[in-house]
Amino acid sequence: MFGTKVPSSRRGFLQSAGVGLTSVALAQLFGSGRAFASPGLQKETQFPAKAKRVIWLFMHGGPSHLDLFDPKPELIKHAGKPIPASVGKFDTRRDVSKNPLMAPVMPFRKRGQSGIEISDFLPEMGSLADDLCVIRSCHGDSVNHPQSVYQMNTGSTLMGKPSMGSWVSYGLGSENENMPSFVVMPDPGGGLKGGPPAWGSGFLPASHQGTTLRPGASPILNLHPTAGMSSERQRDTLDLLRNLNEAHCADRSDDSSLVARLQSYELAFRMQSAAPEVVDLSQETAATKKLYGLDQPHTQEFGTRCLLARRMIERGVRFVQLYSGNSNGWDAHDDILHNHGPHCRATDLPVAALLRDLKSRGLLDETLVIWGGEFGRMPMSEKGKGRDHNPWGYTTVLAGAGVKAGHVHGTTDEFGLRAQEDPVHVSDLHATILHLLGMDHEKLVYRFNGLDQRLTGTRGELVPGILA
Amino acid sequence: MDWTNVLPARAENSCQASSLDFLMAVHRRKSPSHLKTCWCVWVLLGGFLNPTSAIEASADPVKDEPPITPAAREFWAFKPLLRPTPPSILNPKLARNEIDLFFQANLETSGTALAPQARPETLIRRVTFDLTGLPPSPEEVREFTAAIQTYEAASGARGPDPYTLLVDRLLASPRYGEKSAQAWLDLARFAETDGFEHDAERKLAWKYRDWVIDSLNRDLSLNEFVARQIAGDEISPEQAAATGFLLAGPDMPDTNFQTERRHLLLNDITSTVGTVFLGLTVGCAQCHNHPFDPVSQADFYRLRAFFDNLPPLKKDQQLPAAMAEASNAPAVSVVSIRGDYQRPGPKVEPAFPRIADDSDSSLAFASLPNSSGRRMALARWLTRPDNRLFLRATANRLWQFHFGEALAATPNDLGHQGAVPTNPALLDWLATEIPARNWSLKAIHKLILTSATYRQAGNNENRPTSHHTEFARRRLSGEELRDAMLQVAGRLEFRGGGPSTRLPLPSDLAKSNTNKSKTKDQPPLTPNCRSVWIFTKRNEHQPLFDLFDRPDGLLSCSRRNETTTAPQALTLFNSEFSHGIARDLAARLLQTTADPTELVPAAPWQCFSRAPTAMEETLGLKFLNEHGRLTSDPTETLADYCLALLNSNAFCFVD
Repeated sequence: MFGTKVPSSRRGFLQSAGVGLTSVALAQLFGSGRAFASPGLQKETQFPAKAKRVIWLFMHGGPSHLDLFDPKPELIKHAGKPIPASVGKFDTRRDVSKNPLMAPVMPFRKRGQSGIEISDFLPEMGSLADDLCVIRSCHGDSVNHPQSVYQMNTGSTLMGKPSMGSWVSYGLGSENENMPSFVVMPDPGGGLKGGPPAWGSGFLPASHQGTTLRPGASPILNLHPTAGMSSERQRDTLDLLRNLNEAHCADRSDDSSLVARLQSYELAFRMQSAAPEVVDLSQETAATKKLYGLDQPHTQEFGTRCLLARRMIERGVRFVQLYSGNSNGWDAHDDILHNHGPHCRATDLPVAALLRDLKSRGLLDETLVIWGGEFGRMPMSEKGKGRDHNPWGYTTVLAGAGVKAGHVHGTTDEFGLRAQEDPVHVSDLHATILHLLGMDHEKLVYRFNGLDQRLTGTRGELVPGILA
Repeated sequence: MDWTNVLPARAENSCQASSLDFLMAVHRRKSPSHLKTCWCVWVLLGGFLNPTSAIEASADPVKDEPPITPAAREFWAFKPLLRPTPPSILNPKLARNEIDLFFQANLETSGTALAPQARPETLIRRVTFDLTGLPPSPEEVREFTAAIQTYEAASGARGPDPYTLLVDRLLASPRYGEKSAQAWLDLARFAETDGFEHDAERKLAWKYRDWVIDSLNRDLSLNEFVARQIAGDEISPEQAAATGFLLAGPDMPDTNFQTERRHLLLNDITSTVGTVFLGLTVGCAQCHNHPFDPVSQADFYRLRAFFDNLPPLKKDQQLPAAMAEASNAPAVSVVSIRGDYQRPGPKVEPAFPRIADDSDSSLAFASLPNSSGRRMALARWLTRPDNRLFLRATANRLWQFHFGEALAATPNDLGHQGAVPTNPALLDWLATEIPARNWSLKAIHKLILTSATYRQAGNNENRPTSHHTEFARRRLSGEELRDAMLQVAGRLEFRGGGPSTRLPLPSDLAKSNTNKSKTKDQPPLTPNCRSVWIFTKRNEHQPLFDLFDRPDGLLSCSRRNETTTAPQALTLFNSEFSHGIARDLAARLLQTTADPTELVPAAPWQCFSRAPTAMEETLGLKFLNEHGRLTSDPTETLADYCLALLNSNAFCFVD
């Protein structure tokens, strides 16, 4: 009935479901707390979770599975010849289907006890082969960057759906109310194809969108007042604000949205000290910094962000996403060696360091690490030494909580063109990641425009083969 | 329902996935009414339905189309629109117009009553923000309060009610169109770039925005307002800009799949038209029959057929800013099986959704030299004075515009999955009032605003008891916050239409979020203009708007979320913008007085459009006396006081 306060439909629903308004409003401040989770998720999770949090290392531009994780002897054998007509028609971005096949530009070798073959582009990750779960049969639906970036993040090739981090924030909330539950560290060069909607909350409340965080003194936008305001002066002004708001609330009985706004300033103030503490690497030992390659110019940047990712999940951030690759990124149309060489050199050691560090701190058991791009690359060459986009078959690597270690799942065909055995669609991957976090992808729903929306849309099946 | 030729559920290829994607839904076999009541229950219980149940889609959606049953037409939104008689109420003195009779009658069934009328200073702030998005000035408040007192004290012959005069003045202000346009732009998923990878600018998109503002200010009749957005180009070339509505959504001109691009565009147009003008989620029926409402897949493609004369799209070419057909030869329209553009099904002719139309007359098109006339026929049908769904949907939105919560709380979905109206008689009466008042939006606004229901006190004046209802408080939107802050600082610049003002992003954000800017942004000419004139990108959002729940221009948004987050507090309290506003306001106040006892009330007068309460005054005085030890000069001290006021709930909420 009009006349009673119903500031949001969600709150209205929860009210009718018997959840206290104030607790919901407060939980809403950071999308944290279970009261704000999906109605189906008022328990901690839907079933026991293997993973408590996620670090997603997004190699933007499309790293070549054929030169990194998916060895294809047939490519060496048939290099220079066109792909046989028997493979049938397939779409490409730049009309390369008749170009000659190209052998991997780096040799592969068996690694660890598992003997997983990984190329010499990634010696450090290769040395951790026994900890990796290499999915060689991923596939998506678009040959274009932005659509594939959206699909990998939101389950949809169209713009405007909530990203996986937003869904996880909505479903599980944060473990630390002084930090956002979903943090994104973009490449310092910017230029993600598709832009910030990749970490947007879509139709979910804005409190679930990815908060971008940068290394350095001002990690979050407007974290600190503009120059010249001492912390005493700020605190004194905040005290006036709190007193004004308390007096205002007292004249207006029982309005949870007023109380929530009052509290949001206290949280913001705590975040002012919490966030710089997260990015303060002075607390890390020299050995740790060396481990992540902070002492070397080519690994320093990505290593810093990997180390920050560990610090964030230690402090209860639920979902951390890192992007490697500016507007061009791993998009090796011209020359695989020339493109992937520097990217691998910049990321291989830090990624391995992150896995080693998480493992030595006992965090890998409850943290899922994802490595991958929006698609892979074509078996035939482009411009002689490069490769075009390939969404039809490529590799995504998982490690950590709840997934098999030293394991290869699925295959592409003999040329690495399409996923063949045990194919894993992007939505299957999403369903499996949600499962690892203790959520059924068919039950993590949000009502919008008359439909119960899901990360996985109408698709998505659990991939039991990769579960430990 | 008669379902045959059920296909397997899984999408088989990419194109299906992307169009199927619109669904993202539970497609269950339970009956709709059962689902509706049990939705909460099954989610809470973890889902009792078979998760592997197939999406039921036909290989011949025309042949297999289920008929509309008489029972389906009994659902409240689909019933013919009859004009209810205003009820009588126990205390007729409570009512100012018919709205109050309906409203109070509803309250009486639960033993409550309308709240007393709000105080003048509450009322003028409420209605001024409501119609202009800006706060009233202290002078306006004082004048209005005095006029009300004179009016109420007068006996015998009195002039017109000062409040009615105020409403008239606000509706006549150009600020009215600037404010009310935003709600419509949200519905139209309006932005000025393509989105996707390149987020290319649409150089002429502003023309649609300007058309909306101008039309609302001129009080263009609602039927024409709608007709021109569907078929303005078929009326006259000057009206073509209005059809920017159809083409306002995101688009990827460089996609390799141009046929898919066109398919998605047409489906987006159809879905948006259905949800905005009919309150019907027809988009749910693009791959198979609507799972909950009596809208078949064939209905969807018949509605789409009105738009199928869209000229071919060209790779790497942006959508035009306005609609124009290439010829009057009608396109052949087909149903896409399972929503897959690569699987053309049976042919269909343009027709209105059967549940929304029971006229038997066949459709005739008045074709033009270069246009099929199809869209004009749709526009004329939509705006018929007996189009129940259009009028209910519109009346419902207008109610939400003033009360925050619509009578049926899901304005883009009046179907079985949407909310039931809290006061169906009032909704229907208001719907019939639209054509009765010559389709004048301003007349309907005035009707609502002059009701006793709108003039009720909120719980700041009306200690809630079980006997009274109250006016629901609302938080200002991000755009209103920015505009109001500029206004109180004396910085707000008014500009007319034309290309948008480009407001730079904070440098931190610009660096890490976006593609390297291809065009160098010149410093904007009117950086302090109202927010509605600011250039809107899809891939790059102004943080103040983004944090305060502005929708992203990707899907039609009928109602914004209202979140409260710590990053909002950080931005409003710490940003350079806020500090600049606080300094300017302080400087402005110091122009008239340096006496703290005058400054303490002067600032709330500017920010809250009222005198401070005794408590506020005490707190302010204490602050100004003691805070100086932490600042370098009195202006800074006063600026901090202003900063606190601008961040306070008293400023950010409207009672």
